[in-house]
Amino acid sequence: MTVRRFRLSERCFASLLILPVFLAISLVVLFPLAYSLWMSFADVNLLRATGPALELLGLRIPLFRYVGLQNYLRLLSDPLYWDSFGRTAYFVGAFVLETTVVGLGMALVLHERFVGRPVMRSLLLIPWSLSRVVVGLLWVGLLDVEFGALNGFLYKAGLIDRYISFLKSGFSALNVLVSVYMWNQAPFATLLLLAGMQSIPIELYMAAEADGAGYWQRLRYVTLPALRGILFLVLVVSTVNGFLMLDLIYVLTMGGPGNETTTISWLGFQTAFQFFKFGPGTAILYTLTVFCLLLTVLYQKVMFRKLEAEEA
Amino acid sequence: MKPTTRRSFLRTTGLLGASAVLADGFFGETRADKPINFAGWVFKPDTVKDYVDVYNQKFGGQVKYEAIPWAQYHPTMETRAFGGEVFDVMYCAHNFRERWYANGLIRSLDDLPGIDEMKKKMNPQNLESLKAKDGKLAGLPYFTSLFVLVYNEPMLQQAGIKAPAKSWDELVEHSLKLKRDKVSDYPFLPNWNVSPSGTMPQFMTDAFSEGANVFDAKNRVIVDQEPGVARAMERWQKVWKAELVNPEVLTKTSSTDTHRLFWTGRYAYHTNHSYYLKTIAGEPENSKLAPKKAKMTMYPGTGQTYMWTDSYTINAKTKTLDDAWKLARFLGGNLAGDWYVQRQWCLISGLDNPYPEMYEHPEIIASYDRWVDLKLLRKQYEKGRVIAAYKEPWYSEYDVKAVPIVHNMIRGGTTVPQGLKELVKLQKSLE
Repeated sequence: MTVRRFRLSERCFASLLILPVFLAISLVVLFPLAYSLWMSFADVNLLRATGPALELLGLRIPLFRYVGLQNYLRLLSDPLYWDSFGRTAYFVGAFVLETTVVGLGMALVLHERFVGRPVMRSLLLIPWSLSRVVVGLLWVGLLDVEFGALNGFLYKAGLIDRYISFLKSGFSALNVLVSVYMWNQAPFATLLLLAGMQSIPIELYMAAEADGAGYWQRLRYVTLPALRGILFLVLVVSTVNGFLMLDLIYVLTMGGPGNETTTISWLGFQTAFQFFKFGPGTAILYTLTVFCLLLTVLYQKVMFRKLEAEEA
Repeated sequence: MKPTTRRSFLRTTGLLGASAVLADGFFGETRADKPINFAGWVFKPDTVKDYVDVYNQKFGGQVKYEAIPWAQYHPTMETRAFGGEVFDVMYCAHNFRERWYANGLIRSLDDLPGIDEMKKKMNPQNLESLKAKDGKLAGLPYFTSLFVLVYNEPMLQQAGIKAPAKSWDELVEHSLKLKRDKVSDYPFLPNWNVSPSGTMPQFMTDAFSEGANVFDAKNRVIVDQEPGVARAMERWQKVWKAELVNPEVLTKTSSTDTHRLFWTGRYAYHTNHSYYLKTIAGEPENSKLAPKKAKMTMYPGTGQTYMWTDSYTINAKTKTLDDAWKLARFLGGNLAGDWYVQRQWCLISGLDNPYPEMYEHPEIIASYDRWVDLKLLRKQYEKGRVIAAYKEPWYSEYDVKAVPIVHNMIRGGTTVPQGLKELVKLQKSLE
């Protein structure tokens, strides 16, 4: 009797191994993503979940009424959306710039040898490890016009003769949001950049020094080019975080005064959870996804264009 | 060790039996058949747990209480209902009640035993506001509140002002003097915060105090036709321009945060929800204006202010209707003739209720006397004015989107006539 041996190709075997993980990811990531995308094309009322539905693992998942592009067309013709878009662009631009510059600055400092460096590196992570609601409340305590510790300190030091209202106008409130969020997020950028710096071969610096390069030249011609990949990551992560930032607005300004700190993420949240318009709310938030993707492609093109040209 | 005799055995078991009967039978009625799920937003959850325990012991209930953060309370309840979860009894804010009722999440209480007696005990205005658009009662009261005017007595005395303002002109005049004399940087603290409990209820309050209407009988916004609203807005512009109001109030995210500014004693006049006076004038550990240095005075003009009623509601899908109704009566009424929960809220937090007979209770009178002139507060309640517009499906969106328009008006970004027209246009666009 001959035994036929069933042989799987390497590709099939690998596919078989990742199948359980793929199914799990599909269930917890891809399905909710697809369902929320569907909701952005539907008229959703959670309390009226009748009509056609999907049956999945014994659960009834309503599909609601399909309305085509209506949710998207409405928001694109809404001046409030475009006002929020302008503020979001400012917020993201300022936040990404501040986070990258401050993160890089802190990473350069922490890359040097000095007494207390390990402690400083540990302390650095505290702002990043705090929940953003806590960060918001902390800064309310610091900046408040009546109780604020910062105002108290400045007043007692004789630097101001009356307490400063940091949140009195929309523009200053928006800048406060940028700075507070940068305070929270820059340590993560520092961590990434520091890791990148530590992987740069010391020989490159030695060679640069032998060629007579000073500190700034070494930074310009050795450190920054070597950090290109990490900088790309920092830019992408901080851009996505900037677009999605919501909690600090909730705690510090709730979009006010007027609409002057209303960004697209806040508008989407309001539309979905305060007006209970889940379809339009999801559509607003999906436009953020599109902006994030577009900017990621742009960063990739700009940052790696020169490298690709050199390699070619 | 003492040996167990027949006599000592009987004595011990007898005592155990008697204590078991007393513990359950004395305090309790019959045990409820099924557990009840009860949900509310987070406000003094320990107090709520305490009275749920009292209910479980005294009335034989099996209530499971869950506190859900205020900010996400209503969306959470909707998503959990969407997922098939049933909370038998739920808190519901006035501006969500109609939505829940019209979409079948909560049921009418009109067919439940004893409801007519409870309705008779309620202030008619609150009763009206607890009804759905079809005229049926959709909830029992959790609490009611309205806007009041509070003043800082020591500050007025310091400035030589003998009595609080009785009119808006007088209030502005006092504020200008306090600013001029450098007694206060920002003498006036209106509740212009950005949340739904701030700017727009304050807007309605000041319109009512000018004798104006904000909505017509069909709940359409008519502020552009009401001279009283324009007068109120011109006054708001005037106090802003004269820097009588702290500009940061426009970015405060809640009425609670706004009233805390008044604790500092740096403001002369403050308008906010009635229950905040309890912490302002009754909590020396928090407020510099306690005890009773901050006082209430009748609202200027007609004296009318905006009043609302939040509620306990019963799920339309409850399978334990009798028990849910019993719990709802315990919470929002007087189960077995005792206003226990309503009284507790008065005593602990100064949260009022729409049952006038409650305010004859000596314990309530003594408690209120520590922070407010109760007779004056009750007189203010007689001037409370409810609206029905929050029963319209567009209201919550209007309520939020109107805030930037009003903030722009306050800061002179738009003229008053233009701003009022924008409010009317906004409401029409949402219909």
